[in-house]
Amino acid sequence: MELSAEYLREKLQRDLEAEHVEDTTLNRCSCSFRVLVVSAKFEGKPLLQRHRLVNACLAEELPHIHAFEQKTLTPDQWARERQK
Amino acid sequence: MAAGAAEAAVAAVEEVGSAGQFEELLRLKAKSLLVVHFWAPWAPQCAQMNEVMAELAKELPQVSFVKLEAEGVPEVSEKYEISSVPTFLFFKNSQKIDRLDGAHAPELTKKVQRHASSGSFLPSANEHLKEDLNLRLKKLTHAAPCMLFMKGTPQEPRCGFSKQMVEILHKHNIQFSSFDIFSDEEVRQGLKAYSSWPTYPQLYVSGELIGGLDIIKELEASEELDTICPKAPKLEERLKVLTNKASVMLFMKGNKQEAKCGFSKQILEILNSTGVEYETFDILEDEEELKENGELLPILRGEN
Repeated sequence: MELSAEYLREKLQRDLEAEHVEDTTLNRCSCSFRVLVVSAKFEGKPLLQRHRLVNACLAEELPHIHAFEQKTLTPDQWARERQK
Repeated sequence: MAAGAAEAAVAAVEEVGSAGQFEELLRLKAKSLLVVHFWAPWAPQCAQMNEVMAELAKELPQVSFVKLEAEGVPEVSEKYEISSVPTFLFFKNSQKIDRLDGAHAPELTKKVQRHASSGSFLPSANEHLKEDLNLRLKKLTHAAPCMLFMKGTPQEPRCGFSKQMVEILHKHNIQFSSFDIFSDEEVRQGLKAYSSWPTYPQLYVSGELIGGLDIIKELEASEELDTICPKAPKLEERLKVLTNKASVMLFMKGNKQEAKCGFSKQILEILNSTGVEYETFDILEDEEELKENGELLPILRGEN
């Protein structure tokens, strides 16, 4: 079971057709992963649904990641955040 | 092992030495209750628990007991997230149905007896168990307007994320009840399936999943948290209502029928002898009142 940050990042990018996926993990603990996902697929979806999409994408890997954090933005939201 | 004839009598607890042997065992023993003791030779409590298991094996021959050196078979230990010894896992139909962390002999006995006696292994029985679990989870998620399923308790959180969640809820004065998912393996695993949500903590409002820590943080940032979650009435409000409940209000330890301290008893006797009408509030029932009333008294006096 591949669990490298790179592998997870690429899987998310592919499956969610994401504009941007960033690994923002703080401590380099091998079993924690914190990610920012920006995707048009999140448009019009409430937070819970967005997170479910991400959870579904990583359904196989999640049980092996001890600490998982995610932030989900639409391309518009992300553009606005970067301007701040 | 030539130690003597006495050994043969209680050879009831088999040792599992490999992952392969473990898988075999799960298949073989699917029709009965299988109890697995994850142990280590350097832990004295394990030796004691082995004795407890041997006794149980004598009493309940239909139950299979095995032990496994946690450090000797790491693949199995890691698969079931064994983090300390002794830990006991319970299997039926090759499915893990319960878990016990620690050397609690009475608890082990209780769990073994409970699972050993819970009925047949027909598929319909399984469905029945699932239905019961779902009903139980439904009740639990609706147990309070706002329910937090977390690791540990709000007073003693046992994981960083759960701790942060509690802090945010307290910061926004949100009224919630909590459930420690470490206290019940069935709920811990069942709730993940029930809500299709893989992690803890989980926050529910009116029985509906709001989300985990990430979502609560984002709701906090977007200021939606206050609209979604019920607030606890401010202490000041409560005190104002309480002190005005009757024209004479006595804050005491206990109540009119039963004073729980000498001074409270004396004051009751005095009031009763005057014939004055009064009502009471038991400060032993409410931690907040006990501590805060003293501090807020000047404020309340000012308002009068």
